Amino acid sequence: MPDDRRRTIRVILNGQERTLPVEPAETLLDALRAASCTSVKYGCGTGDCGACTVLFDGEPIYSCQKRAVEADGHQVFTVEGLAPFPAHQLDDLHPIQRAFTETGAIQCGYCTPAQILTAKALLDRNPEPTRDEIQSALSGVLCRCTGYVKIVQAVERAAVLMRGEGLPSFRHSAVSLSDDEALTDLLAERYATPGDGREPRTPLVISPPDLARLQVVGGSEPKVDSVKLASGAPAFTDDVKMEGMLHGALLTSPHAHARIRSIDTSEAAALEGVHAVLTHHDIPRVKYASGGQSFPQPGPYDQVCLDDKVRHVGDRVAVVAAESPRLARRALRLIEVDYELLPHVLDAAEARVSGSPVIHDEPDTEGIYDPDRNTVHRIEAAEGDREEHWRRADYIFEREYRTSQQQHAHVEPHACITYWDEDGRLVVRTSTQVPFHIRRMLAPLVGLSEKEIHVIKPRIGGGFGNKQEMILEDLCAHLTVATGRPVRMMYSRSEEFTSSRSRHPTVQRYRVGVTKDMEVVATELDLVGDTGAYGTHGLTVNMVAGQKGLTLYNTPYSGFRCDVVYTNKPTAGAFRGYGAMQTHFGIETLMSEIASEMGWDVVEFKRRNWIREGELLVMAKALGEGREGFEQQIRSSGLAECVRVGLEATAWYRKRRKLDQASAVKETEVGNERLRHGIGMSVMAHGSGIAGLDMAAATIRMNDDGSFTLLVGAADLGTGSDTILAQIAAEELGVGVEDILVHSSDTDFTPFDKGAYASSTTYVSGNAVRKAAVKVATLVRKHAAAMLGVELRESREGGARKRTRQEQVSGAQMTGAEDIELHHGAVWFPDGRRMTLEQVALSSLHQQNQHQIVASASHVSHDSPPPFGAQFVEVVVDAETGQVTVERVLMTVDAGRVINPITASGQVEGGIAQGLGFALCEEMVYDADGRLVNPRLGPYHVHKADEMPEIDVIFVETDEPTGPYGAKSVAELPIDGVAPAIADAIHDATGIWLREVPFTPERVWRALRTQT
Amino acid sequence: MSEQEAGEPWAVHPDASLQAVLEAPCCPALLRTALTGVHSWQLRTQTPVGRTLRAFQLMPQWIATLLALGASVRLEQGDGAREVSLERFGRQASSGDIAALHIPLIDSACRWGEAHVARTPADEPIVAAFAWVRFGGGVVEAARVALTGVWPEGVRLVAPGNALVGEPLTVEQILTLAARIRERVEPVGDYRGSERYRRAMAEVMSRRALKACLELEVSDA
Repeated sequence: MPDDRRRTIRVILNGQERTLPVEPAETLLDALRAASCTSVKYGCGTGDCGACTVLFDGEPIYSCQKRAVEADGHQVFTVEGLAPFPAHQLDDLHPIQRAFTETGAIQCGYCTPAQILTAKALLDRNPEPTRDEIQSALSGVLCRCTGYVKIVQAVERAAVLMRGEGLPSFRHSAVSLSDDEALTDLLAERYATPGDGREPRTPLVISPPDLARLQVVGGSEPKVDSVKLASGAPAFTDDVKMEGMLHGALLTSPHAHARIRSIDTSEAAALEGVHAVLTHHDIPRVKYASGGQSFPQPGPYDQVCLDDKVRHVGDRVAVVAAESPRLARRALRLIEVDYELLPHVLDAAEARVSGSPVIHDEPDTEGIYDPDRNTVHRIEAAEGDREEHWRRADYIFEREYRTSQQQHAHVEPHACITYWDEDGRLVVRTSTQVPFHIRRMLAPLVGLSEKEIHVIKPRIGGGFGNKQEMILEDLCAHLTVATGRPVRMMYSRSEEFTSSRSRHPTVQRYRVGVTKDMEVVATELDLVGDTGAYGTHGLTVNMVAGQKGLTLYNTPYSGFRCDVVYTNKPTAGAFRGYGAMQTHFGIETLMSEIASEMGWDVVEFKRRNWIREGELLVMAKALGEGREGFEQQIRSSGLAECVRVGLEATAWYRKRRKLDQASAVKETEVGNERLRHGIGMSVMAHGSGIAGLDMAAATIRMNDDGSFTLLVGAADLGTGSDTILAQIAAEELGVGVEDILVHSSDTDFTPFDKGAYASSTTYVSGNAVRKAAVKVATLVRKHAAAMLGVELRESREGGARKRTRQEQVSGAQMTGAEDIELHHGAVWFPDGRRMTLEQVALSSLHQQNQHQIVASASHVSHDSPPPFGAQFVEVVVDAETGQVTVERVLMTVDAGRVINPITASGQVEGGIAQGLGFALCEEMVYDADGRLVNPRLGPYHVHKADEMPEIDVIFVETDEPTGPYGAKSVAELPIDGVAPAIADAIHDATGIWLREVPFTPERVWRALRTQT
Repeated sequence: MSEQEAGEPWAVHPDASLQAVLEAPCCPALLRTALTGVHSWQLRTQTPVGRTLRAFQLMPQWIATLLALGASVRLEQGDGAREVSLERFGRQASSGDIAALHIPLIDSACRWGEAHVARTPADEPIVAAFAWVRFGGGVVEAARVALTGVWPEGVRLVAPGNALVGEPLTVEQILTLAARIRERVEPVGDYRGSERYRRAMAEVMSRRALKACLELEVSDA
C-alpha cells in the first residue's frame, strides 16, 4: 500500500515543471521510472553500475542513491529530454545519440542512456576532451557488452559533431590479403605505435582476393534497434506497467544446506496488499532442469520450483506477490522458516569424497551418476590408440590448472512480467535468450499446455548465457496463476550473484605427450567441474570443455575423463565460453609452458600442432553436447593467417624475450616501481552452434511498399543479431537494411528458434534467413516476370535462381528467373526493363494473381565450423606487488566472412573485456558458511572505461562453405584466449607460470617470491 | 566551498561535494589523485565532504590523503567552536556539527607521494599509502604517512614523521621507516589480499610514497 507519508515534489524534468508524488524513502530512480522516464535503469541499487545515471542540476548522479524528496526544486534531465519521442531515424537524434548509433557503441543498450547523459555532461563543459578525459568521465557507468572501445569513440565523434565539424561515416577499414608486402606495411603503419591517441582505430577486415564483395553483407550497418535504444525508448522487459500489476519478491535461503522443518507464512499473508505467499506446500512438485536447452533436456531433473530443502545460500524458499516492491519485501521478512541445518560442502574435491554431505538425497531425482559422492555426471571419452601414441612421446608434461567462478554481471538483472491475456492464455514477457525453450519448460510446471503460453522477449540488457536459464519465469507465472493478476519480478543485484547462475569453476589436469620434433601425439584431460547446487548445464558445459579443450590441437590420441560435481554453492550454468574458455586456459598455457621448457619458439610449436583445414575433429563424435555428436571436418581455417598478421601487427619477435635470454628478466625502473614488461599470445577455436541439434527458422513476407518483414525466433540479446540477419535478408532481396523490418523472439508470431546460445545465431539462424530470402526472391522474380508477361523456365533446383558470378562474367545466355536480378530496391530484367519492388508488391497483393509473397525456411547443420583466432597481449608486471596491468590486446579473428564488421568487432571487444575480468579479478568468494562475500559489482569488480587496455581487432576473412555467405560465429571466441595469453605474457615478463585465475596481485606476488 | 585566503588552510564546507573539491583551483594534486580513478564522477558529485568525515571507510583514499596533508575539522557546539585534527576526529566520537574541513595547502616546501596496489588500475586499492613531507634547509621539517588497507578500520595515519624530522631524507631512512611501518600495521586479510600480503605491501607502498617525495625534492633541487 502507498506510504501515508507520501508527498509531492516539484522538479524541472527535462525542461518542464512536473509534480511527482513520492514516498519519503523512495529513490529518485523509482520516482523517475514511475513518471515514465524508463530510460533510467535499475542495475544494482548500490551506486556501482551507473545505469541509473541522470543529470541533476547538470551534474551526473546515481539516481538510485538519491532520495526523490531531495530532488524537490531541482532540475533533472534524462535521455527522454534529448530528442523528441518517438525518434524515427538518425536525424531525429541528438548528436551524442547519433554518434553512439553510428559507431556501434550500443550493444544491449541498457546502459546506453546513462553513458549518453554522462557524455553530455562532459561535452557541455569540455567540448574538446582528450581520450583520457572521456574514459575518466565514463568510468562511473559500467558496460558489460562493449569493452568501452566504441563508446569512447562515440564520445569523440559526438564532440566533433557538436562542434559542427564534418566527419566521414564511421566504418571499418578493408584490405585484400593478396599483396603481402602492402599488408605488412599497413600493419606496421597502423599498429606499430600503440597508444598514439591520434585517431580511433576502427576494425580492419583483411579479405582473400577471391571473396566476392557484396552489397549489404560486409557493411558496417548501424544496428536496427539502435535508434530506439539511443533514445531510451521503453524497450526492455521492465519498461511497461500494467493495470493491477503486482510485484513479486523471492525469499532466499541464508544457509548453505538445510531442510525446511516448517514455514509459517500467516503473518506475511495477512498484510494488507499482499496477494499471494507461495511455498513448497502450495506448488505441485514437478521435477525439471532450469537450463534452456533443446528437447529432451539433458538430465537430471533435480529442481522443483520451491522445495523443502535448500542447497545453497540464495536458494529459493518462498515467493510473494504484493502491491508494491517494498510491501513484498516486508512480507518476506514476516515469513518464519524453521531450518534444520545440514552439514555443507563448498569444495568440489571434498564433495566427491565418500562421507561428504549428500546434496541431492531426494528420492525423486533420477540420473545422478553417484549421489553419495555428489557426482552428477561422469563423462569419459577417448579416441585413438592410447598405448601407441603415448609410446611415441619423447616427453610427457603434466600440469594442473584452476579456474574460478565468474558471474555474468549483465547490467539488466533478470526481469519477468506474467499476465493472463484476454483469451485466458498466460503471457510471459521476459528477459530471456531462449523464449521457445522457456515456453516448453514452463508449461508442465504451471499445469498448462504449451499452446496456452505466449512468451515475448523484448530487448535484453545483456545475458551472456545467464538468460539461457529459467530463473524467474516459473515463479512469476505461479504468482499470476495464484492471483489472477499481472506480476512483475526483477532480481536485485545481490540476487543475481547468489540466485542466478555463474561460470563453472574447474580443476583441470592436462597430460600432454610430445616428440622431440615438436609433435604433440597424445593428450589427456581430467576435469572436475563444479556445478554448484543443481545440474542444469553441468553435463553440456563440461562436455564442451572436453571437446574444445582437446580439439584445438586435435591430438591423434585424446582422452577425456570428467566428473561434474555438486557443491553447496550457487549454481553454475551457461556463460560465454561455455567450458571451452576454461580448458583453453589450461591447454594454451600448457602448450606455452612446454615450448618454454623445451626452448622452442612458442608460435612455431603451436603452429605445427594446431588443427588444420581438412582434418576431422578427433573428439567431435564422442563428445557432442549432452549426447553423442557428429563427425566433423574443418572446411575453413584462417588461423595461420591470423597468427601471421598478429605477429606483424604487434612486432612480436622484437618484443618477445629471446629464447637464449630465457633466464633474463626484463625489468625497468619507472619512478620507483620495478616493472617488468612481457608479451604473450594464445590461439583459439570455438564452434558455430551445436551440430545436429540447433535448429532455427525464419519467415519473410513482402509488404505493400516493397519492404519486407523478417520474422525470426532468434533472440538478439544485444549482440546485433537482428541486424546481421536483416543484412542477410537484404542482400538476397536487393534492398537496404532499412527495408527489412525485423520481428524476433515471440513464440506466437515468429518461427521457432533454439535461442541465442552456443554462438549459433549468425551461422544457424543466418542460414535459415538466407534460405527464406532465396525463396522470397524467387517469388518476387516470378511475379515480376508475370507482370511483364515473361515466361520463365524452372532452374535446375526447381525454382528460380540467380546466375553465379562466373556465369555473369562469362556472359552466359539467360536461362530463366536466375537472370532476373534484385538490387537497389528493384527487379532488373536482362533486357534492361525494371520495376520497383513496390510495384511488385502492390501487384501481388492487390492486382494480378493476388497472393502474399511469403516464405519460410529452417536450418539445421551437422557441422559446427570453428571460428579461429589469435590474441596478443602486452602486460606490465609490478615485480614487488604482483599487480599485472594489461596495456594492449590485439586479436585477429577468422569468423569466416564478416557480416557486419562493426557489430562483430563489438563482440570481440566485449568478449576480451570479460576475459580480462576472468583473468585478473573476477571471482565469487565464499566464507566458511557458504555466504558470498562479494555479491556487489564494486567489490567483485567489473572493468571500467578508464582501465581498459588498448584493444585492436583485425578480421582475417575466410569463406566457410557451410555458412551464410561464408560466415562463422564470433561471439564466444574472444573470451577463450585472454587468460592464457596473459599467463604467457606474465611468464615472458617474469619467468613465472600462473596456473590459477584470476591472476590477483597476491597470487603473482607469491609466485614471484617462490621463484626467488 | 569557501575561498581560500593567502596563508590560510583551505576551508571546505561539509556540504560541498567531492566533485566541487576536485574542481576547485586550489585542490592539491595529491587530493586530485585520491579522488579520481576509483571514485566516479557521479559518486563524487553526490557525496558531501561531511559524510566522508563521519564514515572514514566510505572513501579511505580521500581520508588517507587528508590525514597525510594534516587536515583538521572545525566543530561547532552550543558553547562555541573548536578545531580538532582529522586524526583525532576519526579516533574519537567527536560531538558537534562539522562546520568546515580545513585542508592545509601544499606550498613550495612540501612534497607528496602516493602509491597503491590493486587488482586492476581502477579497482579499490588493496593497500595505498599517501605521504607528505615538508623540507626546510635541506632537512625534513615535518612528515606524515597515511595508509589504507592495513588497519581493521581501513585507514589510519601512521606517525613516522618524528623519525625523519631534522634529518635529510635519504633512501636508507625511507627503507628503515617503511620496514618499521610494516611491523606496526594490523591488517585484516580478505579475498583481495591476505594479512601477510597487506603487511608486505604496507612496506612497499610506504617506501614508494616517501621515495616519490624524495625524488620530487631531488629533482626540484
